[in-house]
Amino acid sequence: MLMPRKVAHRKHHRGRTRGVAKAGTELSFGEYGIQALEPGWITARQIEAARIAMTRSIKRGGKVWINVFPDKPVTKKPAETRMGSGKGNPEFWVAVVRPGRILFELSFPDEAQAKIAMNKAIQKLPIRARILTRDEEI
Amino acid sequence: MSSNVLIADTGRQTGSPSSRRLRREDRIPAVVYGLGMTPISISVNRRDLRAALSGPSGVNTVLDLTVEGTVYPAIVKEMQRHPVRRTVSHIDFLQVNLDVEIVVNVPVHLNGEAKEVALHNGLVDLQLSELQVRTTPRTIPDSIEIDISAMTVNDVITVGQIAVPAGCSFAHEDDQPVVTVTILRTAVEEETAAEGEDGEAAAESDGEASDDSSGEASGDDAE
Repeated sequence: MLMPRKVAHRKHHRGRTRGVAKAGTELSFGEYGIQALEPGWITARQIEAARIAMTRSIKRGGKVWINVFPDKPVTKKPAETRMGSGKGNPEFWVAVVRPGRILFELSFPDEAQAKIAMNKAIQKLPIRARILTRDEEI
Repeated sequence: MSSNVLIADTGRQTGSPSSRRLRREDRIPAVVYGLGMTPISISVNRRDLRAALSGPSGVNTVLDLTVEGTVYPAIVKEMQRHPVRRTVSHIDFLQVNLDVEIVVNVPVHLNGEAKEVALHNGLVDLQLSELQVRTTPRTIPDSIEIDISAMTVNDVITVGQIAVPAGCSFAHEDDQPVVTVTILRTAVEEETAAEGEDGEAAAESDGEASDDSSGEASGDDAE
């Protein structure tokens, strides 16, 4: 699973996710992309699950890019613990995503099969997302 | 070169709120500049713009931009889109001299099917989806066609190998790769696994471990 090798601060504040994505809103590498339509946290597990769903669906002959990285640690207090005694332990990593952000990109010769694969990947995500192609209307 | 007439309105107020109001009325705020002229803030009708840029040249169409009776030959220099709605939110028009060379981005299209590459579980990878072409506005090509049917494994098509359209030159280095062939990791791993099968059969005690590793490999991709 994706996670940083080294961090400056082990525990982060939760923060707010307001507005729309400023960068990473255009296709950079592939012919198709998965674009977030809602703000949210995407865990490293969900990214991995989406990637595996996509690559298993296309089998071979395609190339996948992951455009987000889970660099935010999320802490949790152990079960049945009294409140207080400081912040919990880092449990997992998330990528903070705003609407408009391209999450994955895909290169694959067959458009229909590529869309099936990306829909399977979207099923693994905790937010609404859509498929983006390079041919866009004005 | 294809050319279209686009009528623009002037006198729009600049700034976010007034631009937002314009977009609500199905007009796109824009600016026209170039060739030493003072930039003019304009707005264009979305439907007219769509019709004007729907020709074979797409966004590289040379427009006859009519602003207060004056016609400016112009091309679209930059098109901003809303990140979620994907609608065009602003356009920069660049006034051009039809006889002076400019640099424009022209889309690359791949023709044919690389059967040899598909046979080896490879992927034809387009490194540059657009090429920068130095040309006069009159001779902007609609697209650059590249034939990939003769490509084999380890082949690379560089900028220098692409046929240059008449009256154009590429603004890239000649050795810059445009199309490459990637051999997928799964294909490589399958080959190595097949080679190692004999050895694994001999060492039966390690059978379970090898099954696990091959299972992971099958789910992997070509990153």
